[in-house]
Amino acid sequence: MTRMTYLLYTCAMVALIVQGAVFAQATAGGATNGARTNTPPTSPVTGDAVKGKKLYFDYACYSCHGYNGETGARSFVPNWPANLATESRFVAFLRGRANAAPVQPSTSMPNYAAQSLSDVSAKDIYAYIRTFKSNAPPADQIAVFKQILGSAQNDRSAATPK
Amino acid sequence: MTRPKKNAVNRRGFLKGAATAAAGAAALGTSVPIPDLEAAQNGASDTSAPPPSAEQVSRDAGDVRPAAGARDRAVVRPGSDLMVQVLRDLGIEYVAANPGSSFEGLHESVINYGNPPNKRPEFITALHEESAVTMAHGYGKATGKPMCALLHGTIGVQHGAMSIYQAYYDRTPVLLIAGRDLGFIAAHSANDMAGMVRSFTKWDAQPKTLEESLTAIQRAHNEAITPPCGPTMVVIDIELQKEEARDMKVPAHKRPTIAGVDASQAREIARGLLDAQNPRIAVGRLRTPEGVNLAVQLAELVGASTDSAATQGPMSFPQGHRLYGPGANTSYDYTLGLEAPAATVALIAPSLSTLLDRDVTNIGFGGIAPGVGGNRGRGNAPAGRTIPVDAEASLTAIVEEVRRQLSPDKQRVVAERSAKHAEANQRARIDALTRAFEQKRAGWDASPIATARIYAELWPLLQNEDWILSSPSNFSGAHNTQLWTHDKPYSYLGGQGAGGMGYGAPASVGAALAAKSRGQIVINVQTDGDLNYAPGVLWTAQHHRLPMLTVMHNNRAWHQELMFVEYMCGVRGRGGERGHIGTTLRDPFIDYRMMAATYGMAGEGPITDPLKLGPALKRGIASVKRGQPYMIDVITQPR
Repeated sequence: MTRMTYLLYTCAMVALIVQGAVFAQATAGGATNGARTNTPPTSPVTGDAVKGKKLYFDYACYSCHGYNGETGARSFVPNWPANLATESRFVAFLRGRANAAPVQPSTSMPNYAAQSLSDVSAKDIYAYIRTFKSNAPPADQIAVFKQILGSAQNDRSAATPK
Repeated sequence: MTRPKKNAVNRRGFLKGAATAAAGAAALGTSVPIPDLEAAQNGASDTSAPPPSAEQVSRDAGDVRPAAGARDRAVVRPGSDLMVQVLRDLGIEYVAANPGSSFEGLHESVINYGNPPNKRPEFITALHEESAVTMAHGYGKATGKPMCALLHGTIGVQHGAMSIYQAYYDRTPVLLIAGRDLGFIAAHSANDMAGMVRSFTKWDAQPKTLEESLTAIQRAHNEAITPPCGPTMVVIDIELQKEEARDMKVPAHKRPTIAGVDASQAREIARGLLDAQNPRIAVGRLRTPEGVNLAVQLAELVGASTDSAATQGPMSFPQGHRLYGPGANTSYDYTLGLEAPAATVALIAPSLSTLLDRDVTNIGFGGIAPGVGGNRGRGNAPAGRTIPVDAEASLTAIVEEVRRQLSPDKQRVVAERSAKHAEANQRARIDALTRAFEQKRAGWDASPIATARIYAELWPLLQNEDWILSSPSNFSGAHNTQLWTHDKPYSYLGGQGAGGMGYGAPASVGAALAAKSRGQIVINVQTDGDLNYAPGVLWTAQHHRLPMLTVMHNNRAWHQELMFVEYMCGVRGRGGERGHIGTTLRDPFIDYRMMAATYGMAGEGPITDPLKLGPALKRGIASVKRGQPYMIDVITQPR
């Protein structure tokens, strides 16, 4: 870990937030291009999920998306983005990312050109991603959340100054 | 100063002689027998080393008086005894050091001075100078007071340099004493020892006499705690530590006077707060817990809603206070800033600030500015009218002035406003938590374990304890900032200071030193890459029985760098499957429970089942409450 990382990370996160806000604005109002949906895709899958699992790890997809797509800076489960709706859109998405490095380090999704990740491999990754399911229970069923809420409610008795 | 002549058989001669003897034995193909050890290994108890006598045990416990013949020594009152007395008088609780010959006199005084032998300051055994200094850094952030670290010559100063730099950047008082011995090992000495770190220490001295040494330590302490706070260094020659002090007296110490607002400014600010319809106080990082108490008093007296930096670091307004939050009305007509970043201070009232101003002075660091403005390196000069004085030192005068101006009518207005703020702030807190739950539930049952779950599971175990979160949480999702209530000046100690790795564990040990004598417990959510810089500090925690729970955020990588390198691989079209080289900690995985065990620390893991996390944390908290540090290795999601 380099010593510059701390500041750079913060810059990257700010960029992410801005990017997210722009994305949200662009996709508000329905399931059009770029919209997210709580319903997992149901389109056909031709790749091999077993091979895809290894590629998902080898290409460090997990580093931004978590080991099951639910955690990390760029989680997509259960809010599936449109670029994961079909296999072909996923491959097109990989090919269409920015392909020039900015001067400062970036945690953005890079471009994956065909010479570094074949269509077959990309489809395998897609097949693995499609196996992801949400592990998230409803918030009101998580016991420690109730405890946290309870302690916050007791933190300050509302209208009684000390 | 005249240096005393070395003895005829000095240390160098002794070492040389010993080495010659060993070499001679080796050349003859013989080994040096160690009968007792060999016998012990063979189980021959009759010839093994005898057990310690009652007298030895008693002395180890520090309960005996010096031997009767002690008064016959050539030096009966070594100078370093007086140095320890100065440290005592300054209220220094701990001296951390990795042993070094250049301060052996001071070392001996710290452990033996007085009758019974000295226990305050206590000698804390460090396994690396970087750890020793970062311990002092963590202690300073937890208490607002300096702790002392000893550094051995040129090599010790350079080992500690990054930590000194980081404490400087973090505006934390640290008292450093570097030993110097020109006559022993030349490579360990320098004419200007402090020169190596002068760019990022606030003040240094290299006294020529014992008396100067004592006043230099006092001055170094005062400089360290005077805002802008920072590390200071005194370089002390070995001869001064060993010379006979005779009847020299420890000079009287006078605490520094820290400038605050003058009477007219206090009057103006008090009037502004009391005349406003909706005053606000933006609290940044004050110097000590007393400053936080005064800020609370002021907010309550004027009924101001407050902003706090308690989720970013120590010494700010308590989050659980009823006045913390946006308040009932967010159109503020008077905002007083107390060491607050520009973004939280309005243009319509003064901001009191010295801690932040220090950074723009760029003290002797070439072209690299050690932080600029409130965001420390990210721009934003303070907005509005800044009064360049210490906020904490100003608060007493402002509080007194508010009390003087506070009429019964205004008291009634304040009470009504405070009640409205309290209700609104409570609603805001509950709303924020509810929103946070929706985010944090993602991956709740996932394996590896979601970092949010670590923080969420910890809170019910902590909420009724007096706790310190000593580790930076930025690389672990910063979930504490949304799920926990940071109510004490020391609840969260914030980031590394300068983003330097190798900080979490030693800073936590420093915080735990503060916690031990105050009945607190320390939580260290420890990133794996960070721990591996100097993991020996775990031994220090165990050796001194510190109340520190370490929960590993073990993602088996320097994860931020992994993401950066993956991006580079991608945009260069050369594939991402080698991005892990140099960025991950695999093949082999590191077993942190075993690492802790090696240092004698209890622990468990690696934990991958989220259902096992809560019970493990419960055991960990129970252990540290008994005064036993504990390590839980948790295999986590990357972030």
